[in-house]
Amino acid sequence: MLSALILIPCLSAAVIGLLPAKGNSPRNLAIATALSVLAVNLILAFQFDFQQNGFQFVEDIAWIEWIGLNYHLGIDGLSFPLVLLNSFLTLIAIFSTNPQIQRPKLYYAMLLLLSGGAAGAFLAQDLLLFFLFYELEIVPLYFLIAIWGGPKRGYAAMKFLLYTALSGILVLASFLGLVWVTEANNFDYLFLRSHHLPLATQLLLLAPLLVGIFIKIPIFPFHTWLPDAHVQASTPISVLLAGVLLKLGTYALLRFAVGLFFDGWLYLAPWLAILAAISALYGASCAIAQKDMKKVVAYSSVSHMAYILLAASATTRLSMSAAIFQMVSHGLISAFLFLLVGMVYKKTGSRDVDFLRGLLNPEKGLPVTGGMMILGVMASSGLPGMVGFISEFLVFRGSFPIFPLPTLLCLVATGLTAVYFLLVINKVFFGRLTEGLAQIPPVKWQEHAPAFVLLLLIIAFGLKPDWVTHWSEVQAIALLPGS
Amino acid sequence: MTDFLLGNFWIIPIYSLIGALITLPWSLGIVRRTGPRPAAYINILMTIVGFIHSSIIFNLIWSRPAQQLVFHWLQVADLDLTLSLELSPVSFGGLEVVTGISLLVQIYALGYLEKDWSLARFFALMGFFEAALAGLAMSDSLLLSYCLLEALTLSTYLLVGFWYAQPLVVTAARDAFLTKRVGDIILLMGIVALSSYGEGLNFSQLETWVNGNQLAPSVAALLGLSLIAGPIGKCAQFPLNLWLDEAMEGPNPAGIMRNSIVVSAGAYVLIKLEPVTTLSPVSAYGLIIVGTITAIGTSLMAIAQIDIKRALSHSTSAYMGLVFIAVGLRQVDIAFLLLFSHAIAKALLFMSAGSVILTTNNQNVTEMGGLWSRMPATSLSFLVGAAGLIALSPLGMFWTYHRWFSGSWDVDWWLLLLVMFVNVFSAINLTRLFRVIFLGSPKVKSRRAPEVPWQMSVPMVSLMMVTLITAFAPIHWPLWLSPNTPLALAQSELITQYATPLLIVSGALGCIIGSTIKVRKAWARSSNLTLRFFQDLLAYDFYIDKLYELTVIAAVSNLAKLTSWLDRYIVDGAVNFVSLATILVVMLSSTILLDNLSFT
Repeated sequence: MLSALILIPCLSAAVIGLLPAKGNSPRNLAIATALSVLAVNLILAFQFDFQQNGFQFVEDIAWIEWIGLNYHLGIDGLSFPLVLLNSFLTLIAIFSTNPQIQRPKLYYAMLLLLSGGAAGAFLAQDLLLFFLFYELEIVPLYFLIAIWGGPKRGYAAMKFLLYTALSGILVLASFLGLVWVTEANNFDYLFLRSHHLPLATQLLLLAPLLVGIFIKIPIFPFHTWLPDAHVQASTPISVLLAGVLLKLGTYALLRFAVGLFFDGWLYLAPWLAILAAISALYGASCAIAQKDMKKVVAYSSVSHMAYILLAASATTRLSMSAAIFQMVSHGLISAFLFLLVGMVYKKTGSRDVDFLRGLLNPEKGLPVTGGMMILGVMASSGLPGMVGFISEFLVFRGSFPIFPLPTLLCLVATGLTAVYFLLVINKVFFGRLTEGLAQIPPVKWQEHAPAFVLLLLIIAFGLKPDWVTHWSEVQAIALLPGS
Repeated sequence: MTDFLLGNFWIIPIYSLIGALITLPWSLGIVRRTGPRPAAYINILMTIVGFIHSSIIFNLIWSRPAQQLVFHWLQVADLDLTLSLELSPVSFGGLEVVTGISLLVQIYALGYLEKDWSLARFFALMGFFEAALAGLAMSDSLLLSYCLLEALTLSTYLLVGFWYAQPLVVTAARDAFLTKRVGDIILLMGIVALSSYGEGLNFSQLETWVNGNQLAPSVAALLGLSLIAGPIGKCAQFPLNLWLDEAMEGPNPAGIMRNSIVVSAGAYVLIKLEPVTTLSPVSAYGLIIVGTITAIGTSLMAIAQIDIKRALSHSTSAYMGLVFIAVGLRQVDIAFLLLFSHAIAKALLFMSAGSVILTTNNQNVTEMGGLWSRMPATSLSFLVGAAGLIALSPLGMFWTYHRWFSGSWDVDWWLLLLVMFVNVFSAINLTRLFRVIFLGSPKVKSRRAPEVPWQMSVPMVSLMMVTLITAFAPIHWPLWLSPNTPLALAQSELITQYATPLLIVSGALGCIIGSTIKVRKAWARSSNLTLRFFQDLLAYDFYIDKLYELTVIAAVSNLAKLTSWLDRYIVDGAVNFVSLATILVVMLSSTILLDNLSFT
């Protein structure tokens, strides 16, 4: 069952890449693949027992025995929301791709490979297997940025590749060290988790792992690849990058950093909470000064992903659920914002906040995009009724009893979110329409469909947050030892 | 039937929300054939339904004890978030005011925005606005109230920014949102803390928690201060007061709601939070100090404004300042009375001002005059509204003050002086406005000024009646506006003997000053430098906006520039440097290697 989530996209990628296809068929095949993966995921959702602790649908096959690599998959409350988010956002990304894209076969193949790799990383319960998928997903993303990106795509893609490769090496170093220290003969997650290491060893192994993860999330000061990658990537790739691939970092944070090195984690937690606050404030502060709409959203990602680090460092029962919820919420909201910014760019050819004006104009502008952008911005700045509010509230409420000051600083960053996004809205959508922009092609309803779906989810989960929290509540707590 | 209506009282805010949703096809431009009017009618109909429903309950409620409707919203780990609604005379009295004024305002808006191309969008926003306000009136949970306050912040932003193509509107909407947001974020900090310390976030739970718990004084003080920050923003109190005045760039019907009900909504939450905010003397004094500064400062600012709406909106802040003081003194009933009297009278004043603005296409009072004979209903409304605010005529505010100083409450001489101060300046401001707008000789812009159409005059005249009648509302429904203390007179001290006469004298004094002071066009900007200095000081709101610019705004924008510079040249620069260095090293070593190879 779980293998299907990885194999369907990978096989389909091969089929799309190899078969001689003309016209729209690669796109249709990709949509069919994404739909079937989503269907498998939904079936999984019905069969998944949210009240039960531990991994379900486990598949464990010995793969390369002499290194101790097992093909060990499993799903729990931490993986489940992310896998679902991945399959859903893949579909959204494919739908929002321009149907006339150049080299469609390669593009869709890479996109599906990316999605399959990410799913594999979320499902792998073997450290080495996780690492393999973690690296596997970098390659297609590199090509997706380097081939279909903006003018400086070469620089951005190389920077992304070097950063994340470094991240992978550090993660691998930590995993190898752990296996060496425990003298285990395999990389099994549960097996390694049951070992109790002395604090000093834990810290020694945790440090490289954390740096690797911080690059991926990204946390200040390891974040500079992200704005470049986002700005150069095309809209669907930005959606996947922000919505899914950054979550690999926070997933690894909860699964491996907290799960394997709990004593070391507790020891570092006060410093990590402060780092989270710094990162949140730093991202927000940088976002205020940006002139490119996409960069604003990218820096807001830096800021909002830091809340997950805060929640993870608090390690209360509530904050662990909140961290997972915040991943889902950030995935939906940032994907939504990137879609809308992409729509503005597609129609006007610009993302410059100093150039664009008055796009809310009902006759010649982009009124629906503008209206949704206002809602998206509100969702991101934590307006109640949308998913951003309750996820952030739970993060803050869960972390406040442990780390009051960093939590309050993160709340300030939430306040700044409204500042930088409102400046964008005011400049780009309010005012008189820019003179040179008299000919904006109208937006068709189907072009907005992906954004509508996301908006519906953002509001639905905002009103009924328990639909998300009950997926992971029981098992998020199980990440903490002794509960 | 009545049981059914009582049992489903939670549906009242939903009515207007449905109205707002139904208007979407018109406001998104999908339906164009009919024009935007049907959207407006639907919303008015929904408001009527809501008004009738709440009126029926309001009549039934007196014989019943207050009851709560508790709704478990979210349970995660050890946190249980409940939202609850209250069925009580206080909440339904508030609901009556909200739905009633909203109904009048919406009919008024039909006339005021008749020629506006996006009428449907306006009504959609009004429906949303009204739903949030109605929910707030019934809410018995701090979390729900916070959510609704935020919904109000959003809809204020969109309503102020309704005419978003105009530059002043754009900055006004931005400032309104961000100023309120500052208060709301601090309030959210308080809520997060309160939720961590306390039992739950329902107001009744908070009250029992306060009585049973002993927090450290510093924590209690910080908590109290953070909780009053939200209402400071909402009620336009110093130092977050300027947004209300700027927001006057938006359409007037929304301005009526904002100045009468929305500011009251913020104060209503404050009243509900009173047990917590007065837990620590620091925050109680904070309330009194903020209220006093605002009451004095904005009273002064109001008399120097030449924009009719701005002059009235500053006076709103002043009256909200009095409410803050009343809450700080734990005199909740007085706070309710102040809110109620102010809301009705100020709504009427704003309707009248809107009529003047619509007919003269102008907000500058120095260009008006002589409208008395041309617009009798509007003039009379202004007079009645002013009478409702000034403690000289026996209407709402007079009886409120009278009750405050009747001896049932612990009052002091400074308070009497302050109330007299507000009263004098309010009287000066309103008589001044009345003279320059309605009396005198007509100017260019006020020469051809017909009375407004019936859509505007009918709600205006109805509200005028309401203002005249509701002076007796507190006596009729004591459980609504004075839920805690019966309206009995207690001991008679010196202050209580002199208070009422003194207040009347202050009102009279204000009216006399306001009507005898010379009004000349040249006075709009005096040539006498000393006078001009003070005039400008008041007219530009004590330069508080400059203060913001030099402090908060400068700090944030410089920090943003600094961090983005750091990000680009230091953090990212280091990375690029490393990569460059690596390339250089590789190139150098390879050339050296090659050279060595060639030598051998």
